[in-house]
Amino acid sequence: MAVCPVYTTQSLNSTCSISTPSKTHFSSHHNHLVFYRTSKRTSKRGGSSSCVITCSAGDSQTVVIGLAADSGCGKSTFMRRLTSVFGGAAEPPKGGNPDSNTLISDMTTVICLDDYHSLDRTGRKEKGVTALDPRANDFDLMYEQVKALKSGIAVDKPIYNHVSGLLDPPELIKPPKILVIEGLHPMFDERVRDLLDFSIYLDISNEVKFAWKIQRDMAERGHSLESIKASIEARKPDFDAFIDPQKQYADAVIEVLPTQLIPDDNEGKVLRVRLIMKEGVEHFSPVYLFDEGSTISWIPCGRKLTCSYPGIKFSYGPDTYFGHEVSVLEMDGQFDRLDELIYVESHLSNLSTKFYGEVTQQMLKHADFPGSNNGTGLFQTIVGLKIRDLYEQITASKTAAPLQATKA
Amino acid sequence: MATLFTLNFVTPRATASLRDSTKGSPIKVPYLNQPWKRVLSPLESRRMQVRAAPDSLSEKVEQSIKEAQEACSDDPASGECVAAWDEVEELSAAASHARDRLKDNDPLENYCKDNPETDECKTYDN
Repeated sequence: MAVCPVYTTQSLNSTCSISTPSKTHFSSHHNHLVFYRTSKRTSKRGGSSSCVITCSAGDSQTVVIGLAADSGCGKSTFMRRLTSVFGGAAEPPKGGNPDSNTLISDMTTVICLDDYHSLDRTGRKEKGVTALDPRANDFDLMYEQVKALKSGIAVDKPIYNHVSGLLDPPELIKPPKILVIEGLHPMFDERVRDLLDFSIYLDISNEVKFAWKIQRDMAERGHSLESIKASIEARKPDFDAFIDPQKQYADAVIEVLPTQLIPDDNEGKVLRVRLIMKEGVEHFSPVYLFDEGSTISWIPCGRKLTCSYPGIKFSYGPDTYFGHEVSVLEMDGQFDRLDELIYVESHLSNLSTKFYGEVTQQMLKHADFPGSNNGTGLFQTIVGLKIRDLYEQITASKTAAPLQATKA
Repeated sequence: MATLFTLNFVTPRATASLRDSTKGSPIKVPYLNQPWKRVLSPLESRRMQVRAAPDSLSEKVEQSIKEAQEACSDDPASGECVAAWDEVEELSAAASHARDRLKDNDPLENYCKDNPETDECKTYDN
């Protein structure tokens, strides 16, 4: 029998949410038991107090994805691509704190782990501690709330206001179908790591990071090349000590490096991106090129496809990464035209697409996002499709289990 | 009555531009002779100020850089220096997010997102 979480009025901050069963059409995933309880004193009070306790068995297990990336959270490109794969745009919760870091769409909720800072900006300044340091984060609260959301219980999550640097009053987060926790330390704490169904680490090399930060910050009045460099250098020790080790635990690592196609390139416009996929992860089958497990080097530009300088180069092969068996798919170069993208997609296998050309379609939908013409956008989209596949496999296996129980 | 209603809708933007020009000194003078110009409630004024935030955020970034440079002039490896540069990084990220948000802030789109059934927002494509 599946566990039935009961939403009491206390946990919903004394608001009764009335859910209509017609929304779910009693699908195989949801077994809704709706209780209507109206107070007998309505006529005297002048208002009805009907509380609906919805019991949804079967989807009480939320799929939790962890994404580790430097420099805070928010409306980053990866999250927008990921939520777009599931359909719908992710937006901040309506009517709440305008500086909230949370994004909510129909299927997904994205939580920024900066909200679990135990020290606000002044507190960190006093102690001389960066946000990267585990001493500035409350991992116990993080673990409890992620565990609660995973079991289908709504939580009151604190808000860290990036503008003021203070901890704002909490907001209510209802358990979604897919929960994404994004930030600096999703895989740092072992208990939180065990709750994750899939984890991703965005590994940006130092040269590329420097180039990106210059692009981002040179528009700001106070910044200069020296201040940007000093900021990166100052954070590096903490980053290497606390954030970087998380990549050994990730199921997929997206590594962004400078290109090898242009000698002595320091503009950082053309990128070499490697998608490192761990072997043996449940519900996750790595993408491969031509022949799984072999080593391939592929330049698609030739007679059938003409590319402009510097062209595109792919490679695929097995490797070991921190002692784990992995498959690495690498793309160096840029897409200039639509047909290059569709040509490449037609030669990749195990993409978990629902129809031919889905990757291209997703990339085109967000052609204005950064990285849409190189491996970063391509691999982020592919990882998004893999996560959708993982979610469907997990929910399918959960509905299969009670069926087997009833048969036995 | 209808014209008064539409005028009421236009005024929040007009008072927002007024608010942008007079930063930090909210004028809450009720317009006695012009009752259609209503005074912004604190909730709305706070929301308006968030949209104008990038200016104050840019100042915060500038100030934090100066503080970090001062903190690091004594001892580059100290906790204070590192924490100060971390603050610079956090504020720069917040400033860049705010700039991105401003870039696609179309007042009509924002209004229509919440009220798609109004006359200005109805779309007829079936």
